[in-house]
Amino acid sequence: MASPDPSTPLPESFVDEMKRYLHLLPADTLILRELGPRMEKYLPEMADRFYAQIPHHPGANRVFTGGEAQVRRLKSTLQAWGRGLFNGVYDERYAEDRFLIGFRHVRISLDQKYVISAMGVVRSFMMEKLFDEFPAREKRLAFSQALGKILDLDLNLMCDSYFRATMAHLHTLNQELEQAGGQLADANAIKDEFLAQVSHDLRTPLNSILSFTKMVLDGLCTSPQEEKEVLRDVFSSGQLLLRLVNDLLDISAIEAGKLALDVEALDPRAVLDSTLPLVAVQAASKNLQLIDETLNQTLPSVRSDEIRFRQVLLNLLSNAVKFTAHGCVCIRAVENQPEGHLRFEIEDTGIGVPTEKRDAVFEKFVRHDPKALHGVTGSGLGLAIAKRLVEMMSGRIGLETGADGKGSIAWFTLPLAEPRQKQEAKSA
Amino acid sequence: MSSQAHPLQGKRVLIVEDNDLVAKFFRMALERAGGCSCLISEDVPAILEHVATGEIDLVLLDVSLNNSEWEGRSIGGVELCRMLKDKSPRRLPVLLATAHAMSGDRERLLESSGADGYLEKPVYDSAVLVEKVRSLIENA
Repeated sequence: MASPDPSTPLPESFVDEMKRYLHLLPADTLILRELGPRMEKYLPEMADRFYAQIPHHPGANRVFTGGEAQVRRLKSTLQAWGRGLFNGVYDERYAEDRFLIGFRHVRISLDQKYVISAMGVVRSFMMEKLFDEFPAREKRLAFSQALGKILDLDLNLMCDSYFRATMAHLHTLNQELEQAGGQLADANAIKDEFLAQVSHDLRTPLNSILSFTKMVLDGLCTSPQEEKEVLRDVFSSGQLLLRLVNDLLDISAIEAGKLALDVEALDPRAVLDSTLPLVAVQAASKNLQLIDETLNQTLPSVRSDEIRFRQVLLNLLSNAVKFTAHGCVCIRAVENQPEGHLRFEIEDTGIGVPTEKRDAVFEKFVRHDPKALHGVTGSGLGLAIAKRLVEMMSGRIGLETGADGKGSIAWFTLPLAEPRQKQEAKSA
Repeated sequence: MSSQAHPLQGKRVLIVEDNDLVAKFFRMALERAGGCSCLISEDVPAILEHVATGEIDLVLLDVSLNNSEWEGRSIGGVELCRMLKDKSPRRLPVLLATAHAMSGDRERLLESSGADGYLEKPVYDSAVLVEKVRSLIENA
């Protein structure tokens, strides 16, 4: 049998030391061997008496959570322990065997004090039976002395085993605490980093708002036209700031689990019709074509929150327009891809996203290929928010390379409102 | 005030800043309130070339440079600052301007870049900017 916990090794010669202390002599060993066969028949009752003690201790309730089967198992273990008392070999292995008791008991929350009191019951029971078996004074005296010694040895071994098990338990708890502390420190570092990034990103538009306003106030502009131009910069910086603040509130609410969704069966057509015109204005100002391939499709209802569905759609469409200088942005929908979902694809002919950055762009404050984004400004939170919203609506989101190897396809899925009926209707 | 109307007359300031609007403000403020001439660039080889001529009196340098690359990788203001100092034929004052404004950023950035001055964004007062630039050039 392996040592229960290598972190607290069994002291060498520990058993010998204890045997000396208890004056356990070779003669006692012989007596116990002789006693064994005579006491065997009492072991089941001994086990019953031991466990009959436990319910008297309100703190020991967990012992019986395993029901009858567990109690039977425990009782047969206790009988094996009782047999061990009489087998005449009291070495390191014997001690190791006893040392497992503490681990088992700590696991089922059986406290040492309850076991000591139950052992008292066992001791008086065994003595009573011994006296029945050996009424003659001479044998009785020698036998009860030997039995007393071995019971004391076991009681002491058991207390040591409790100590070892408790130490091992504390050691584990300590490790868990250390790990939790490490995770907390990591989370804190991430929070600090987030805060630093937010501070940085808020200051950039603020810089423009304050500096250009001050410039006008200081009379540093050379003409009313220039003042107007500078004020337009102030205005666009203010808009960026508002977007950033809104996105920050969204991501904070999502991460705190405080964003409540109102998920219902929705007609995607209505959401598309109210979203596409907003993007059409942006696209037109860049001479981009905005193509709606879903126009001739009958779209099935999806389960989603209308406002958040629109937010995701608007986000992906605006991104596509933002990162495309020439060509077109196209939206299409594919049913049952995957099974039971409606997949929306927004394809553009823009700068694309390298494969290795595809996952990263859904992280907070990761802006892809900044070199090509000169002059493009955003909160850096749009895709992170979109990903979380789609996942909250039981969908998925991702990026792929465009059909001709250029541009990109941003896609997301939403669960169909009535996937089964759809299937039946098809097969009918 | 009138004698101070153009405290940076005849000076040349190189602005390295990745945000177009912030760069625009820096240029307008320095030119209008300081009377100096400004160059704006994010292109590292071009920046080094300008500095190597010895005609630049001060570099106004942003810390986060999202659009600048050197030897195939992105480069920030801290690293660029050291390169500029090495490249310049004369003592070249560098003024860091950054929106990194958490506690400890100032000391850390000044120390690691070797820059001469530090401005925390938002920087919006032209007079303060001009005065900072003037004093750094004067003490160079």
